[in-house]
Amino acid sequence: MDLDFSVALTYLPVMLKATLLTITLALVTQTLGTSIGFVFALGRTSRSRILRFVVWAYVWLFRGTPVLLHLFFVYYAAPLFGVTLDAIPAAIIAMTLSSAAYNTEILRAGIQAVHPGQVEAAEAVGMRYSRIVRHVIAPQAVRIVIPPYMSNFISHTKNTSLASVITVPELMLTSQMVYSSTYRAIEILTVAGLIYLLLTSCLTGLQLWLERRTSYEARGMSRRRRAIFLGKAPASAPREA
Amino acid sequence: MTEAKTPMIDARDVRKTFGDFQALKGVSLAVDQGEVVCLIGPSGSGKSTLLRCINHLEVPDSGNIEVDGQPVGYTTTDGRSRRKSSREIAQMRSQIGMVFQMFNLWPHISAIENVALGLTKVKGMPVEQAAEIARTQMDRVGLAQKCDAFPEHLSGGQRQRVAIARALAMEPKVMLFDEPTSALDPELVGEVLNVMESVAADGMTMIVATHEMGFARKVADKVVFMDDGNDVETGAPDKAFDAPESERLRRFLNRVLA
Repeated sequence: MDLDFSVALTYLPVMLKATLLTITLALVTQTLGTSIGFVFALGRTSRSRILRFVVWAYVWLFRGTPVLLHLFFVYYAAPLFGVTLDAIPAAIIAMTLSSAAYNTEILRAGIQAVHPGQVEAAEAVGMRYSRIVRHVIAPQAVRIVIPPYMSNFISHTKNTSLASVITVPELMLTSQMVYSSTYRAIEILTVAGLIYLLLTSCLTGLQLWLERRTSYEARGMSRRRRAIFLGKAPASAPREA
Repeated sequence: MTEAKTPMIDARDVRKTFGDFQALKGVSLAVDQGEVVCLIGPSGSGKSTLLRCINHLEVPDSGNIEVDGQPVGYTTTDGRSRRKSSREIAQMRSQIGMVFQMFNLWPHISAIENVALGLTKVKGMPVEQAAEIARTQMDRVGLAQKCDAFPEHLSGGQRQRVAIARALAMEPKVMLFDEPTSALDPELVGEVLNVMESVAADGMTMIVATHEMGFARKVADKVVFMDDGNDVETGAPDKAFDAPESERLRRFLNRVLA
């Protein structure tokens, strides 16, 4: 077998530019999907039966059908509603829809894992729901949610490659175009694979960092909070275990 | 010169059903300012439900509850009553301290921050001022040295004392204790009861659901025996414990004091 990675080197700038689009697509849709998922998760855990059902139905639909189908559907269906969508906005919409469905379930799991007594204690001191979410539920739910959330984020990042089917020139499509014209599929796909691995490794690193940051008992009070609450600088603050 | 005194807590004919289970079958209870009332009775007799109705964690099916003359859960304007908004309910709850059987401290912040959170997030107090009050309250429950400890690193008795400090910091008009020592190892019960006794001595209006008959006899002004969703017998501790009128209370005391 004769491999020639110099081709890969020649086309590296093109592929890195495509990687930028992959990163943008992943970050934008994950951020939107998380925000919508958070609101939906509150809806899914609300007292309103209608709200719970609407969110449940949304998740059922968008988790139950392939992302590939969402991509084609948004891309081809948009003109029926009198708008033509470019490939990139269509991909953002489609991938946000599915990201929101998964993140709803992940965040709901976190919210529901917080013991009801925690919320009651906050209600009993007179805290209002928005404050309870912010100061009691969220900080505890975040920690529970990090591993599944980051797993989904990683999976979602790889799934941006599906946007290639509607001509979004992200890393996968660009790689295909490069090897179609150079006939160096193995070399180009190897480089693309390494780039994806690098991206997901960053997310794995982020997960470790977040897990450490949110391990509250091990970290103890921060220097700033110590100074405020104990009225003194830390003598010997407990360090991370 | 005698003024008709309105009770600090006035519950009348409170009923509450969970599915098929009638937890409260029409309970009435009046507690004067500064009075300590102990609710005794077997598990499932409705003690917790009554306390939870008083601060509206449970919504009673019917009946009327007033705290300091204000109806809990609804308000009357121009002769018309309506359900209170969540803001009004929260405001009312901030004046009613509650201590839970399972402590329910927030595990993600230190003990002193547990005490201060209500002050900053409910009363809107600047954090330095809240910290000052929280330190005072931690000292009051004998835990000045444990301010920076996280709940996980505290014993059950210490956690419950923090929970009491958290409630006291809000300067409530009344304190409700829902079996505060039932989840504790026996050797840790005393430290919590001592704190509660000192709170009572400071003149706090208290309702305590408890299985600690010694505490009830010593600290309570009034003992209410509940059984099967009813307030069966109410009286001074001496009378309730030494000369119970009802057969049910007599049987209950025989069981728990045996």
